[in-house]
Amino acid sequence: MSATRIPSARLLLGARARRPSLAGAAAAFRVERRKLSAQLAIRLALLAAALGPVAFAGILELQSGSPGDSLYGVWVHSSGFAVSLVVLGFAGSWGLPLLVGILAGDLFSSEDRHGTWKLVLTRSSSRGELFAGKVLAAGAGTLAVLGLAAASSLIAGLVFVGPHHLVSLSGTILSPGRCLWLVLVSWLLCALPALAFAAFALLLSVATRNGIVGVLAPAIAALVMQLLLLGGSGVWAHTLLISWAFDAWHGLFTARPFLGPVLASSAVSLAWIAVCLAIAWRIVRRRDFAGPPVSRRDGWRTPVQVAAAAVAVVALLVAAGNWGPAGITASRLKTSLIPAFERLTFLQQRELGRTIVPGTKLDIVLPSCSHRGSAPRGPGDWVCTINVLIPSSSGSLPPQPTPVTYDVSVASDGCFKAESPPAFVGQQLMRDSSGDEVVNPLYTIYGCFNVL
Amino acid sequence: MSALIATGLVKRFGDTRALDGVAVTVAPGEVRGLLGLNGAGKTTLLRVLLGLVRADAGNVALLGSGDPERRPRDVAGCVEEPSFYPYLTGRANLELLTELDGTRRDAPARIDTALKRCGLNGRSDDRVAGYSTGMRQRLQLAAALLRAPRLLLLDEPTSGLDPAGLRDVARLVRELADGGAAVLLSSHQIGEVEAICDTYTVLREGRVAWDGSAAALRAQAPSSNWALETADDARALELAEQLDRIGAGRAEHGGLRISAEELDLDRLTVALGRAGIAIRRLEQVSTPLESMFFTLTAR
Repeated sequence: MSATRIPSARLLLGARARRPSLAGAAAAFRVERRKLSAQLAIRLALLAAALGPVAFAGILELQSGSPGDSLYGVWVHSSGFAVSLVVLGFAGSWGLPLLVGILAGDLFSSEDRHGTWKLVLTRSSSRGELFAGKVLAAGAGTLAVLGLAAASSLIAGLVFVGPHHLVSLSGTILSPGRCLWLVLVSWLLCALPALAFAAFALLLSVATRNGIVGVLAPAIAALVMQLLLLGGSGVWAHTLLISWAFDAWHGLFTARPFLGPVLASSAVSLAWIAVCLAIAWRIVRRRDFAGPPVSRRDGWRTPVQVAAAAVAVVALLVAAGNWGPAGITASRLKTSLIPAFERLTFLQQRELGRTIVPGTKLDIVLPSCSHRGSAPRGPGDWVCTINVLIPSSSGSLPPQPTPVTYDVSVASDGCFKAESPPAFVGQQLMRDSSGDEVVNPLYTIYGCFNVL
Repeated sequence: MSALIATGLVKRFGDTRALDGVAVTVAPGEVRGLLGLNGAGKTTLLRVLLGLVRADAGNVALLGSGDPERRPRDVAGCVEEPSFYPYLTGRANLELLTELDGTRRDAPARIDTALKRCGLNGRSDDRVAGYSTGMRQRLQLAAALLRAPRLLLLDEPTSGLDPAGLRDVARLVRELADGGAAVLLSSHQIGEVEAICDTYTVLREGRVAWDGSAAALRAQAPSSNWALETADDARALELAEQLDRIGAGRAEHGGLRISAEELDLDRLTVALGRAGIAIRRLEQVSTPLESMFFTLTAR
């Protein structure tokens, strides 16, 4: 027998780390899955994903109000698909990052807390296999949470409200079959950003060895990203944020679906996943597993350091907010809002039982949109005035322009909610030709345009 | 053919040399005690051997394999205090380990056997969170046994065990060695492993201070030390100094300190009796091996 010489440089750099075998990674994945399923926090997270949307739909059913600030929020009593889309909106804002943080943010740090690295690393699995097993477990858990939330929100919406048609973000009608397809695709598109948050949580878990950071930081990061998306008029910094990717599905719900944001956000999510996992693996590969378990007392020093680093990153991103071309401009907003207004006006009239001759167009003159902020571009609050030429009742006078003013709240992805005082468009709810109470489609207009 | 060969191992933590050219070998059927005070480098050496810590330089071969990351399947070991997933039962913890070992097929039977050998079969379905330190130590041994080890590396396996546990561990290690396994076990208390070990490696400040057989260590060991208190310590000291092969002096906190083999001590006690000096306390302070250990590891 001959002893093998261990070159010091190669040891330090971890160059001898083996390529993980499929069987070894699968075994490590099964171990992680079993450990996760035995933990109360994980069970509660899965339960929240499964029952949260049902509870949400149930509460909506019991009250007359609606979450109008959320995209499709005013339609939750009209179409079950809107319920699922509103849940998806909340999930992307903070729900999924929180649940994913619980799932993935403690996968590595828990080994430090329990002192069990030495237990698993002295078995037959290599570091690479253990790493792969944990990554697979985080990914599977993330997809499970996403799948549960999607299924339960859709089922709850269809059961409580029904599979009714939905108004698109361009004012056209989407059939129930198309709605079902689009809702499923929308949830599917959120898989990549959810996995990106999982990879981010894994990285924090590895780098900080602190479960508090790993679990909470993704949700906090998601909220910070939401705030960052509110400022700055450039599209590039916004596009690089994971949270932006959660809204990429909006473009599918327009009359002419645009896929640019879907492709860009998918690429960005993949980049986040690759970078986070590469850094995490580098840390694990090079690490010396020495010393006692991390104590809870030491546990707060790391969160403070991470918070300081996060503040620096956020400041950098704020400074980069105007980076790149302006995606949101007055002309783009007008181009999106006016056709939607026109279509929804006809929809309203049809629902009121009035006959619309095919090919009829609204006479709209001098539409204008202005940003309430200092710069005439970027997300935030806008005011749009649409002058509609309405014929006089006697028909003897020329049509008079009637201004309709909408307060428009535009998000960084080009999606907006426009609301008008009821003087011209009527109340939020109206009676249709059958006497049923329905949503007035002109009261709140949801729309979307491509910012890329 | 040695089951473990390690030579020239160096490991630095910052400016501290935790290991400084350490060499150790263990042959099949041999139980080698790895001795040293706290901080001597025992645990670091075991961590290097188990692939938890990467050495800065040196040679390692475990059952002929030089891959520092992936140990042969029949190498088992544990370092420092036993740690398991507290929210799982003892049995479930072992099941996870068989999964990682890729030996799920006959796992239930092997787990039952290992738990029984370590005296844990009655509590195996309790969560580890409720285990005492001794029970965790036993579970750690059971985890090692699952790999049917031909090379077993144990870090202070008797720590936290009651006398019955100490005896059980000694018996288990002996059984494994008698079955052909090579065992390297560390301790900072030679008395706890004296009955098990065939050979010793003594570490001091990251270096090998002594290496050899138990017999050689005993041969080089000084006499046992005893604490003696009598009705008249002054006269007892005079008497002791007159006898051959007995070292005597005043102890720091009263009484006398005697250095002598047991047979020579017998001569002293008889002489004290004949002189009418009553013995009030006679207690062994350290065995010859302990005395040797303190000599070798003194900083």
